[in-house]
Amino acid sequence: MSPSLRRDLIAGASAGLIGGLTFTWAMQAQGLRAAAGLAGLSSTGTGVALEILAAILIGAGYGAIFRYQPFAYAATISSGVLYGLLWWIAGPLTLAPLLLGRGPGWSLQEADAALPSLVGHVLFGAITGLSFYVLVSLYRRARPGAEVVAEPPAAPTRRVVILGGGFGGVSTAQRLEQLFARDPHLEIALVSQSNYLLFTPMLAEVASSGLEAQHISAPVRAACPHTRFVRAEVEGVDTATQVVRVRASPSAPVETLPYDHLVLALGAVPNFYGLPGLEERAFTLKTLDDATRLRNHAIALLERADVERSADERRRMLTFVVAGGGFAGTEMIAELLDLVHGVLRYYPNIPAHEPRFVLVHSGERILPEISAPLADYALRKLRTRGIEFMLNTRVAGATVDAVLVGDGGRIETHTLVWTAGNQPHPLLRTLPCERNRAGAVVADTTLRVVGLDNVWAAGDCAQIPDVNNEGRPCPPTAQHALRQGQVVAGNVAAALRGQPLWEFRYRTIGTLVALGHRTAVAELRGWKFSGLLAWFMWRTVYLSKLPGLEKKVRVALDWTIDLFFPRDIVLTSHAATPTLAQTIGARSEVASAGATGPGAPAAADVRLEGGA
Amino acid sequence: MKTSDLLARGLGAGALAGLAGGLISGAALSRVGALPPTASLVRADAAVAGFVVHVLIAVALGAGFGLLVWYQRSGAGETLFWGLTYGALWWFLGPLTLMSLLLLGFLAWDVHSAQEALPSLIGYLLYGGVTGLALALLRRDRGETAPGSLWGVVGRGALVGLVAAWLLGILLDAQGQLHAFSTVMVGPARSAAWIATLLIGVAAGAGYALLYPRPPEGTGPGLVRGTVYGFFWWIIGPLTVLPLASAGKLAWSLEAARAGFPALPAFLLFGAALAVGYQWLDGLVRVLFSDLVAAVDREGLGTEGLRAIGRGALAGLVGGTLFTLVMIQIGALGAFARLIGSASSLAGLVVQVVIADLIGVSYGLLFRRQSYDVGSALGWGLSYGFFWWILGPLTLQPLFLGTAPRWTAEVAAGLFPSLIGHLAFGAGLGVVFHLLEARHNPWWVPRSRMEAARVTRRKEQVLTSAPALWTLVVAIALVLPIILGM
Repeated sequence: MSPSLRRDLIAGASAGLIGGLTFTWAMQAQGLRAAAGLAGLSSTGTGVALEILAAILIGAGYGAIFRYQPFAYAATISSGVLYGLLWWIAGPLTLAPLLLGRGPGWSLQEADAALPSLVGHVLFGAITGLSFYVLVSLYRRARPGAEVVAEPPAAPTRRVVILGGGFGGVSTAQRLEQLFARDPHLEIALVSQSNYLLFTPMLAEVASSGLEAQHISAPVRAACPHTRFVRAEVEGVDTATQVVRVRASPSAPVETLPYDHLVLALGAVPNFYGLPGLEERAFTLKTLDDATRLRNHAIALLERADVERSADERRRMLTFVVAGGGFAGTEMIAELLDLVHGVLRYYPNIPAHEPRFVLVHSGERILPEISAPLADYALRKLRTRGIEFMLNTRVAGATVDAVLVGDGGRIETHTLVWTAGNQPHPLLRTLPCERNRAGAVVADTTLRVVGLDNVWAAGDCAQIPDVNNEGRPCPPTAQHALRQGQVVAGNVAAALRGQPLWEFRYRTIGTLVALGHRTAVAELRGWKFSGLLAWFMWRTVYLSKLPGLEKKVRVALDWTIDLFFPRDIVLTSHAATPTLAQTIGARSEVASAGATGPGAPAAADVRLEGGA
Repeated sequence: MKTSDLLARGLGAGALAGLAGGLISGAALSRVGALPPTASLVRADAAVAGFVVHVLIAVALGAGFGLLVWYQRSGAGETLFWGLTYGALWWFLGPLTLMSLLLLGFLAWDVHSAQEALPSLIGYLLYGGVTGLALALLRRDRGETAPGSLWGVVGRGALVGLVAAWLLGILLDAQGQLHAFSTVMVGPARSAAWIATLLIGVAAGAGYALLYPRPPEGTGPGLVRGTVYGFFWWIIGPLTVLPLASAGKLAWSLEAARAGFPALPAFLLFGAALAVGYQWLDGLVRVLFSDLVAAVDREGLGTEGLRAIGRGALAGLVGGTLFTLVMIQIGALGAFARLIGSASSLAGLVVQVVIADLIGVSYGLLFRRQSYDVGSALGWGLSYGFFWWILGPLTLQPLFLGTAPRWTAEVAAGLFPSLIGHLAFGAGLGVVFHLLEARHNPWWVPRSRMEAARVTRRKEQVLTSAPALWTLVVAIALVLPIILGM
């Protein structure tokens, strides 16, 4: 109990005694048994004693609820009266009849009979409030500095640093904010390269011009208002001295962030397995930049193709290849088809049969994450729309004007979107801890990184055992990252407070895959849905998951506008237009960071960024 | 300046203000013949002696008032409500307690005496109101000067008052109760009633704008303030000025106040509409025409709105449960069931919980970030609960059931159990909402200097009239039905 609360309790109880004595005297003076019926239980003496005791307790309650505020004596008296009136309702009208075995006396007649007591309670409240203020003032004057108000610390004493601003990192920060409710002793810092939380499930729709880029991302500063956000690149982590080194820009000096607890939520970066030409020429789908670049590229190709004379070149321009048949790849190829056919009316020289869409997938069937019937349905649907599938085929490389597939195959194209491989963030390789084959740090069921103290992990960058699925790790999906972040936050709080840790237990609720053009497939706890209903579910579920009301409204508006108007073909960047060779060479910074990874065999377990 | 000097100034200003209040209320009280008890305090029977004694007491009380509110905010809108509450408190302490004890030797705490002392209750309220306003005038140098042109402010207030009165007039007219608003000026002509209603609207609106050129708080507190402002107008309108103008006497007796009771809910609702409308119009004007962009400092209505709704819904459920307990006790669930044309208590329970939840959501939106401790949470919650007693059982419920709302004192008194239920609901709602806010996002812990300034402003609501509003609302809510309804 803080000293000031103790002071207010004691002063309140004393003030209650003064008020109670006045009240009792007044009630006795008019021959009223004041403890409203309670006195009827026993002799008058006992009744009075009970009443005084009640007044003391009620007075203590007054002190605890309204507290002392300097100079606010008018408010103190006024709130005393309010408090007295409340106790008139609670006491004579409610508790006393209840104790006597009757129902509460809330009828007008009973209130009427209790009017004397109401005036008494007003008097009691006013006197209690006034006495309370006087008593505390006297106490403060008599003992200045007796209660040292605990000043908030100038600097926080505990620091939690979160690396990564994706689902895992942001949900950790948000949960920590809730658990520590603006506690000045704790600083939560989040380090990320981008200052927004990207809602990756809708990224394909941005690439296909269905949604505005900013609408699917929420600023970290808005999502976690009480977290210190640091926009910087992580240079390294020193787990021995518990320090993170960051750099705001390549020219900025390295700064250090000390931590008591470190949360790794760095996510994954694309993995090209060292295949020739991919790193330079393939589009990836990880950031907003990637999505807008791909969109600009596709529209620029349509612009060029519309005026291109050479049939071969036009075919190359109008051929779109996506590598990887997981969630991201399947949604992307479907969205690309929607985009191109949606805007083809603006390009009179391109016949509708010319654009070609190819999905190259190394497995037997697309969408290995969902059950076979749904995957078959998706395959059938997309084939009917004109998408070609090359199953059991691997991309072997890319040149300026073609994608090399399988053993010597070749698809003439200027567009390759790479979704066929991810790897954990390369920074993790510098940590002195256990890692799996792909490079992810290994964490236990409480999400602690094995082999490191005070380091936790969430999301795609960690291999976390699935408690419900013995021996297998949790899949790298957004819905898992989100929950892992919350559990990490809870466990960091538990560790700081010396409480037992929680295990991460989560069963996938379901998977939803949008197939473009008002179709989707969904599997929720074993129930299967497809077609329009599933599409509707996809939109509802993902809209509800989008962070923040503002973005929800914006995306809902985008979708509504989409119902009435064609897609936008405004080129937002000229960088995408000058020459196609340059365009195709464009790639994201993240991709370059990931491309230094070890060349994995083409048959490596293909980890795909999936829907939540 | 030393504390003692400050206090001396407070005493002096308060005494002067008390003189003004005493003169006006004394004149009024002598008209209804309510002064003699005061006079007999000095064993004199002459009316003049009584008047003098009354004014002397008024000056003394005014000095106390000046001392009491010296550290409070000095605007007229603040001291007016402090004055009203101060007057109400002195009604309890004076006529019912001290005077009766000195003159008669016993306490006059029973209903009969309270009913007899009704004129003096109104007199004390009038005294408090006038004293508060006078004190604000005397302390004007300490007040903040209103930005913008005075005429613009008054014009906006009058406009909002006109619209609010017009809306309420339509509602009343449809029920054939247009006279409720200007009860005592009962002329048979409908047009006369309309004109009176609109004129009152304009005057009250302009007055509100003068009291609060720049409304400081959110919509919720504004609503509560407007409700009490409506009450003030009920005292000076239908009970004082209108009967004085039309019949040459005051309507302060028990019978007259009973007859004038139907105007009270009308004025309370009008006041609430006026305050909310003015607040919004002022906000709109600021958004559209103010160049002080840096001072606007708004995060937008939509921000955190979902969370406020969620917390409000949860708090509404808790408050609704308290309310349900009351309703079950008094067997009033049937009325709720009838709202959806059903007769079962289960249907009544469901309807009631849904309504409680909706009110909770509205509380969340209107009062988020307003209560910084349990005390202020209780205050806002209780006031909001009372507002819904007026709007709900007294007004909307009969409307939905297809009958005209009857705002008589008897009906209000019959709904007394429901009043207790609404107060319990409001208290539970306010406290739970505050606890939820405190748990997850205590807004009063600032993150930056700018926010610290805003938090201080809000936390200083103990220095505004907010605590006076809470107390006055509950006191009026409990006392008036008992006195007028029996």
